[in-house]
Amino acid sequence: MTDNSFLEVRDLKKYFPPRESFFGNTAGSVRAVDGISFELEEGETLGIVGESGSGKSTAARTLLQLEPPTSGTVHFKGHNLTALSEEKLRSLRKEMQMIFQDPFSSINPRRRIGDVLREPFAIHNLKENVAESIKELLNQVGLSSDHAHRYPHELSGGQLQRVGIARAIALNPSLVIADEPVSALDVSVQAQVVNLMMDLKEKLKISYIFISHDMSIVEYFCDRVAVMYLGKIVEISTSEEIYRTPGHPYTEALLNAVPGLEPEQKKQKIKIRGDIPDPSNPPQGCSFHTRCPLKEKRCEEMEPILKEVSPGHHVACFLKE
Amino acid sequence: MSQIELDVRNLNVSFSTPHGNFSAVNGINFQLHSGETLALVGESGCGKTVTALSILRLLPEASAKFISGKIIYSGRDLLGLSSQQMRKVRGKEISMIFQDPMTCLNPVLTLGEQLSETLLQHNNLNKKEALSKSAQLLGRVELSSPEEKLKQYPHQLSGGMRQRVMIAMALACEPKILIADEPTTALDVLIQAQILELLENLKKETGMAMLLITHDLGVVAEIAERVMVMYAGDEVETGPTQSLLKNPNHPYTKGLIASRPQPGLNIKKDLRLPEITGNVPSPNQRPSGCPFHPRCNWVMDQCKTQKPISKKSNHDHQYSCHLEPGSL
Ligand SMILES: Nc1ncnc2c1ncn2[C@@H]1O[C@H](COP(=O)(O)OP(=O)(O)O)[C@@H](O)[C@H]1O
Ligand SMILES: Nc1ncnc2c1ncn2[C@@H]1O[C@H](COP(=O)(O)OP(=O)(O)O)[C@@H](O)[C@H]1O
Ligand SMILES: [Mg+2]
Ligand SMILES: [Mg+2]
Repeated sequence: MTDNSFLEVRDLKKYFPPRESFFGNTAGSVRAVDGISFELEEGETLGIVGESGSGKSTAARTLLQLEPPTSGTVHFKGHNLTALSEEKLRSLRKEMQMIFQDPFSSINPRRRIGDVLREPFAIHNLKENVAESIKELLNQVGLSSDHAHRYPHELSGGQLQRVGIARAIALNPSLVIADEPVSALDVSVQAQVVNLMMDLKEKLKISYIFISHDMSIVEYFCDRVAVMYLGKIVEISTSEEIYRTPGHPYTEALLNAVPGLEPEQKKQKIKIRGDIPDPSNPPQGCSFHTRCPLKEKRCEEMEPILKEVSPGHHVACFLKE
Repeated sequence: MSQIELDVRNLNVSFSTPHGNFSAVNGINFQLHSGETLALVGESGCGKTVTALSILRLLPEASAKFISGKIIYSGRDLLGLSSQQMRKVRGKEISMIFQDPMTCLNPVLTLGEQLSETLLQHNNLNKKEALSKSAQLLGRVELSSPEEKLKQYPHQLSGGMRQRVMIAMALACEPKILIADEPTTALDVLIQAQILELLENLKKETGMAMLLITHDLGVVAEIAERVMVMYAGDEVETGPTQSLLKNPNHPYTKGLIASRPQPGLNIKKDLRLPEITGNVPSPNQRPSGCPFHPRCNWVMDQCKTQKPISKKSNHDHQYSCHLEPGSL
């Protein structure tokens, strides 16, 4: 059934054991990812957007089987990753790489850049032309071969994120999951890194999953966008559609929260208050109803499911039915 | 024009480190008017935090060897005050909030203990009054059930809530000036929008002036009346926010504006985001002439050797560039 799709995620869940509650009463398990499904075509870029705690990183890690999912399946190029042997998975890992938010914590500060980039080759026992490959990698990400001799602290945040990208593309992956790759960078440097990722996509035929809390960058970079809230996808569509006709009030709030160069345009639009609820005790009904400015009675009682509102545009909100 | 609350004149700050002496802030000038929000903008390493810390005299004495210029606050030069006099200014007259609230919050004290301690330091209150004023403050920063929050510890709060607590602490003594150093940089855009709105409301209510530091011109557009753009310790362009965003005169300002993506960009598919290539130089490798010249798309021969002097643009910005006004 899934033979010709590149990546297909079905009803993926990741629950963590209940946290010790501060006041002694036991809370339920932490439903970090609570049944998400989507597909990614080869060469496509999918954005996952949502605020902290919505389950984006957990989704990325369980998708790559860096942590075992609680349930659900992930098919990648015809392989069911959830059912694969450790050995098979290991060889497939070359094809699936990750870029992390904070390059200063995801790159060992005591190793020279050259050694950091040697690692992926060593893990997969590749010995030929490694030095040559490292040089080329550095050039590909806009650094010079001298950078191989430097230590992470001698580089700026933007330069170090380029190293993170070089490490991810070292083994020619076909899928790269970038988990908030620019959130810790200056706005001006974000543009540099995003442009680099775009160039590499063209050159190396990479498919991306790009995670961020910032709608402006996701919408710019991605072909399609999935909006996550409390472990669920509440809206998914093309970037253009999401921008022109956002279906979910949460999506609209995320768009509206982007600090604007023309603020006159956006007074009075949807704003939401407070923090995201605790995923070990999610609200009844629509999980967004506690913060939704448009909520109705039924939203507190029943949970809306994703419905197609126009071709390829799915929204989980009663107000859109 | 309104009264000048803070007047920074020809501020220079140099550090002496094992790697040599270098200057991090080079003769900047700005005025903060009462009730206004002035933004200090620039990429990391441009000297924004050093400027803010100099105002409060919080730079480490060991390395910040040379500070010169004047920082005039209510008729006195803050650089000339004794440490004891300065302690009275800090918190009570001018207070500051930071990117990471945990640098100011004590992890082992409850919010009630920390807030009332701040209040007791500067006010004539008893413990009970201090606690009830603390709850009031938490309510003012729009935290729900403030009485309960008084009993909580910082780690029990989300990042956004901690930032609210820090704002409450900074406002405890009703300062005339609030310095906010990247208060929302570590937060999600959604929570950022909430905090910016809160700061704006509090500013209106109290009439305080705010010096807001950020690397994001989007944030500036949301709440600042005026902006000063800094690059490599220099003042690059200063002007009213809307005018500066519409008619930047310095290529660095223009670059910062262009690299801020706005929703809707995707529709023009396949456009690269305009970027400022390269990096901010480290202060001990400052380029000759205009420090921005190695990254500038408009670079001319004179930029490599002569440092531009500040001039007025057609739109009444002050800017430092060899280009004539209106060239961009
Ligand atoms: N290892 C873990 N154990 C328990 N809870 C976790 C763990 N990892 C993440 N969580 C919780 O799962 C939720 C989603 O977290 P995360 O996937 O990091 O979200 P995001 O990346 O969108 O910020 C959060 O409430 C977080 O506290
Ligand atoms: N205590 C210090 N000792 C030595 N150098 C410092 C110190 N504080 C800041 N610097 C240097 O001064 C420059 C400006 O720093 P900073 O004001 O923190 O920049 P910004 O806040 O704009 O990111 C940087 O190059 C930084 O490394
Ligand atoms: Mg995350
Ligand atoms: Mg700073």
